[in-house]
Amino acid sequence: MSESLLAARGLTIRFGGLVALNEVDLDVAPSGITGLIGPNGAGKTTLFNVITGLLQPTAGDVRYDGRDIVRWSPQRRGRAGIARTFQRLDLFVGMSVRDNLRASWEASVPGGIFGRHARDGAALVDAMIERLGLEDVADRRAGTLPTGIGRMVELGRALCTRPRLLLLDEPSSGLDGTETARFRDLLVEITGTAQHDRPAPAVLLVEHDVRLVMEVCEQITVLDFGQQIARGTPQEVRHDPAVIAAYLGDSGAELTGARSTELTGARSTELTGARSTT
Amino acid sequence: MLPYIVLGLFAGAIYALASLGVVLTYRTTGFFNFAYGGEAMFLAYVFWQLRDRWHLSQWISIPLLLLVIAPILGLILEGVFRTMASRSADVQIVVALGTLAFFTSFVPIVFGGTPHPLQSIFSPTASFTVSGTIVTANQAGTIVLVVAAGALLFALLRWSRFGTATRAVVDNRDLAGLIGVNANRVGQVAWIIATMFAALAGVLLSVQENLVTYVLPFLVLYSFAPAILGRLTNLPLAFAGAIALGVINSVLQKYGSAGFVAKLEGSIPYLALFVLLVAYGKRLVEVRSSVRLITGAHVIGDNTKRYALVGGALAVIGGTVLPQTLGASTVGDLAQAMAYAVVALTVVVLTGWTGQISLAQMSFAGIGAVVAAHIAGTHGGLFPLAILVAVLISVPVSLLIGIPSLRLSGLFLALATMAFALLMDNLVFSSNSIGGGLTGLNLTAAKIGPLRFESAQSQFYLCGVALIVTAFGALWLRQGPVGRRLQMVRDAPDAAATLGASLTLTKLAVFAACAAVASIGGALLAITQGTIAPVNFDSSHSLALLLAVVLGGRSLISGAVFAGGVQLVQLLPLNANVHTYLPLGIAVSVIMVAREPEGLPRVSLQQLRYCSAVLYRRRMRELLRLRPTTARTAHAVGSNV
Ligand SMILES: Nc1ncnc2c1ncn2[C@@H]1O[C@H](COP(=O)(O)OP(=O)(O)O)[C@@H](O)[C@H]1O
Ligand SMILES: [Mg+2]
Repeated sequence: MSESLLAARGLTIRFGGLVALNEVDLDVAPSGITGLIGPNGAGKTTLFNVITGLLQPTAGDVRYDGRDIVRWSPQRRGRAGIARTFQRLDLFVGMSVRDNLRASWEASVPGGIFGRHARDGAALVDAMIERLGLEDVADRRAGTLPTGIGRMVELGRALCTRPRLLLLDEPSSGLDGTETARFRDLLVEITGTAQHDRPAPAVLLVEHDVRLVMEVCEQITVLDFGQQIARGTPQEVRHDPAVIAAYLGDSGAELTGARSTELTGARSTELTGARSTT
Repeated sequence: MLPYIVLGLFAGAIYALASLGVVLTYRTTGFFNFAYGGEAMFLAYVFWQLRDRWHLSQWISIPLLLLVIAPILGLILEGVFRTMASRSADVQIVVALGTLAFFTSFVPIVFGGTPHPLQSIFSPTASFTVSGTIVTANQAGTIVLVVAAGALLFALLRWSRFGTATRAVVDNRDLAGLIGVNANRVGQVAWIIATMFAALAGVLLSVQENLVTYVLPFLVLYSFAPAILGRLTNLPLAFAGAIALGVINSVLQKYGSAGFVAKLEGSIPYLALFVLLVAYGKRLVEVRSSVRLITGAHVIGDNTKRYALVGGALAVIGGTVLPQTLGASTVGDLAQAMAYAVVALTVVVLTGWTGQISLAQMSFAGIGAVVAAHIAGTHGGLFPLAILVAVLISVPVSLLIGIPSLRLSGLFLALATMAFALLMDNLVFSSNSIGGGLTGLNLTAAKIGPLRFESAQSQFYLCGVALIVTAFGALWLRQGPVGRRLQMVRDAPDAAATLGASLTLTKLAVFAACAAVASIGGALLAITQGTIAPVNFDSSHSLALLLAVVLGGRSLISGAVFAGGVQLVQLLPLNANVHTYLPLGIAVSVIMVAREPEGLPRVSLQQLRYCSAVLYRRRMRELLRLRPTTARTAHAVGSNV
């Protein structure tokens, strides 16, 4: 698929005896939002780590913008326009929110540390703070923020590199209902509008809130036990028997239509347990 | 050839014992025991006390040492280190180094500093001949003892329940807990065995080298290279490596035992340590508990303005009042302490701001001092040129160490810098043509343009200005993009990398800059000292410097100032007891406050808070009353649902 911005082929990674990714293929379109879902431990975060270069795959390759990047350092990938957030918040906890964003800008520009582009950076950071509604916490230390706001800061930090490809790892976990709704609007806005002189970034979204994924994604890839088990539009994925089985085990038949919100990443036992109480 | 091999086997056997001890505790508890040589020395002295001073029979003193005293010491140390298990790597390293400093300062106080010979535990005079080579009973006994100890350990790990439990813990700490293995118990046993080995190694080594407080702990460092050869986990490889090292060293002695060759021979273990660290590189993985490590987070620029104001005011007042009121020699000491603080500042930046532990900062200062003494001329006319040359030497040297070792994680970087410092001691500073030999080098003044810095007062101002410029320069850099880069690499290295910040490049730049500043500080130290003795820049001084900075707050400028203050106390003609007990006090305090990145200042603040809490008893009572209530509420809520 030559029109993909990112194309991973046959990615395999082993941790000792555990095969965390097994011949995974993944395509991310140059615009819009691509979803990546799967139960806990499916390998989604590991796949992110491979794409961003924090982990080297045992086999397989990753093409980004037509180039093979699998041997690139994380830094080089970052500079080439791949940015991400972390499932477990990984903020620069000792810095203020503003400095988190500023540091990100400085890191992403060659020579950014020497203040060549300092003024551009300051403007970008201010705009980002406003856009994400972080004005009130701009001078607070990132380590002291609640998770919801921390996720916003991580998003802002990733956006400050002005990425072409943005990887979001469970960005709505730890957010409450209204925050999630706001986040969804923001996500749609980010992928819909060009930033400054750059086109809008393509997003690869890992999310356990399946309703959100179904709403915003154009294409969805489903992983289970490190294996790709389905791929397609939200409609196709929702009715895929393999997906239903992966999430619900034998009682998968219950999963249809609107109930798909229950695809919460929990395994069948937990899910049925939760249902019986309600 | 055979006599050399026998000698080599004998020397290697002792180091093999030490390597086993170091590796054993590391792989089971994840704690690298820098203090191992200190323990070995302490236990050797204890043995000497028991047998030679109290005249206990060897049949009593040896079992007492090995089965009672060593295990107790092991348990104590295990207890100290276990409280640090969840701390970040730099804290653990500092605590281990503090423990080393504890032993090296404690032993001379208790047992006296004069060297003693120690008679072999085997028949001192007996010997026999193997194909024409005389082998003493001591040599044969040592080899047999070590092989027996190694075999015993091997059997224990192979066939006993302790062995199974150890393997479980080494494989996966968390899983081990789940299947009912008590990781703490395993750790305790490992520490006991390792300390018993330390006792044996200490005694056997002291028979060979005499009881010398300033030599023994460093000899045990020989065992670090074999330990690294076994990647800190492979016991047989460490054992074999130590034996091989002993034999190689001994055989080389056949070809020359004087001058530079001899020095080179003495340096082989350190060279091997450095080369192995570099060669293994990323394949060296630190053993860690699964707890996510959180290093103390500091706010950049927090309070900086206030500090700057207060610091600036104090500097102005001190600068005008002190030189006028104090005697010339005290002013000179102050100048020297400030030059020392400039070097200490590089430790703050490295350890506190980027989390890298360097045990070589005094070596870089030594480069500056020696270069200044050689180039500036007796009257210091070429001082600026000397500074330039010092920087031009220290920066490439730092890159030479930094490029291979900065991709290593904390512990291995600390070991690499330590190896470098020891190599500098052995090969460079000890050379008569470079270090000036016993008489040292002279440099009493500096000329910078029209200014001459010869009197104590003028040097006071020179060093004061240097300290202020470097301190405020560092603070200023820290508040800007450079500081953000350091902080991001420290707070979240993965995130920093994905954003495009190069970790290695950042660390390397800081390391090189710190080497440059340390060498300038060293040049200043040189002119304030007048006569430069290279021993003042050896590895043990780097260690003392690090500990003083940690105590004063490794993330604050005050840490550097504190280290300067410690140096001042050591320079001033005070009661001898002060000089004796100061290092001990520092070592003990470091062990206690190492977890605080802000050192003593922070601890005393907490104490104040605690005191005020006690004073406000009413508040306390409120707090106490609150707790049962909330518990009951929670319970009620739970039962309703
Ligand atoms: N660095 C690692 N070492 C060993 N196992 C790992 C590592 N990273 C992830 N794993 C394992 O790989 C599997 C996939 O994990 P992950 O990618 O985090 O799943 P997801 O993000 O889909 O929940 C899990 O079983 C996890 O325990
Ligand atoms: Mg995940």
